[in-house]
Amino acid sequence: MNGDPYSARVRAYFAAPAHAGELENGHSMLMDEPDVRLKMSAAVERGTVNAMRFRAWACPHTIAVAEAVCEALEGRPVTDLLEFSARDLMEELSVPVEKTGRILVVEDAVRSLGRKFRDEP
Amino acid sequence: MTDAPIYLDYAASTPVDTRVWERMREVSERTCANPSSTHAAGRQAQQLIAQAARQLAGLLNTDPGRLFWTSGATESDNLAITGGARYRAHRGRHLVSTKTEHKAVTDVCERLAQDGFEVTWVEPRADGVVDPDDFAAALRDDTQLASIMLVNNETGVIQDIEALGSICRDRDILFHVDAAQAMGKLHIDLAELPVDLMSMTAHKCYGPKGIGALYIADRPGCHVEPLLYGGGQQRRIRPGTLPTELIAGFGMAAEIAADRIDDDLVHLRGLRDILWGGIEEVAGVLLNGQQDGFPGILNVSVTGVEGESLLLDLEPLMVATGSACNSKTQEPSYVLRALGRTDLEAQSAIRFSFGRQTTAAEIDFAAARYRSAVARLRGLAPGAAA
Repeated sequence: MNGDPYSARVRAYFAAPAHAGELENGHSMLMDEPDVRLKMSAAVERGTVNAMRFRAWACPHTIAVAEAVCEALEGRPVTDLLEFSARDLMEELSVPVEKTGRILVVEDAVRSLGRKFRDEP
Repeated sequence: MTDAPIYLDYAASTPVDTRVWERMREVSERTCANPSSTHAAGRQAQQLIAQAARQLAGLLNTDPGRLFWTSGATESDNLAITGGARYRAHRGRHLVSTKTEHKAVTDVCERLAQDGFEVTWVEPRADGVVDPDDFAAALRDDTQLASIMLVNNETGVIQDIEALGSICRDRDILFHVDAAQAMGKLHIDLAELPVDLMSMTAHKCYGPKGIGALYIADRPGCHVEPLLYGGGQQRRIRPGTLPTELIAGFGMAAEIAADRIDDDLVHLRGLRDILWGGIEEVAGVLLNGQQDGFPGILNVSVTGVEGESLLLDLEPLMVATGSACNSKTQEPSYVLRALGRTDLEAQSAIRFSFGRQTTAAEIDFAAARYRSAVARLRGLAPGAAA
């Protein structure tokens, strides 16, 4: 332990989030919480997520998780959005437990997007 | 400029001056004796401590006999406030301070409040300065001690100690000053200032960690009850074996400071001007504190940027944030909240603090880094242009 609160992957995702931005087509979901302001967007083609983007006013862990989520879900069936859980990503990225509330905002955003695609395909 | 770390956290701690290290090494080689021992080696250690007291007293223009060694400013604050309040408790149990003090003061006052003391917190103005009229209005017939810091550790705000101390002196109220950020950086003349108790520490003035001092004025009714018992050292006010090497280092740091305060101030003013000039044009930037506060500290907030992300994006700058985002508390700075900043403004605060070794090139780099970090994080936020 070197005491660094950020794992190497969090640092890398935070420094260069390849999925930062918005999508013209598809759905988006804005979450506005005291510690996190997050907009997740996704585009789906033939039942598959073909693009995901995010924008965030948030701490580095939340930004990193949002980036990792986009990376992980692109190419997956759209139904995966509905079942998305951030728990594994939190472990993989070594997100401290006190950030759970913020990370759950990301989870909520993804699941809400999934519901949008289900209800308004 | 490379991506090598740039230390801009001098308000947290300063590097130890090489002459201080040399002095401490020389002293440890010269004697290992307990300065309370009466044999020759003990007396030699005692003389080294007396020399350090003269060096510190020279910096502060006071009598070396009025200085008591402690482990640092936190202990000095505890001894001054708790000891002073208890010593005067038979005359009254009311204390006055401000919400912008260091925790070493506010927490002590709150602890005393649990013991039956009453505390009035004076609101500072928006620039952080305590208005002497507001201060006077908070005093009561049973007020026995007031505590106000000289330089604020977060914002660099300088209080008018002379005006506030005079008000206390007129009413025979003990006036304590936390000078942890000011000692050796601003001129302090204790022969002139109406200060009864003053806390200091060495490590914020290029001295070693683990050593501080409390000044106790020589006037009737000005005294503190000890917090520690178990030895007769330092007239029983702060017993315990004295760390000769650390004290000698503190003395050397004080002597060096006395020689170069004016030069240091010119250097710091130049750096602060460069930094502020480099970032004041950033939209939404707010200066926390006075325009003409202590020049070694610049605290700024900015709208639309999350504080913890800003802190990380500023690397390799080593600066302090206005919030404790990495801790479990995640509370915005209570000091900035007391200045009227919103939670979001306080949360985005960054404290830059610099010192003797900081260069203009480093400050130029810091300003550029700040500008680029703010721009990048705003670009990431919802509502940014696609």
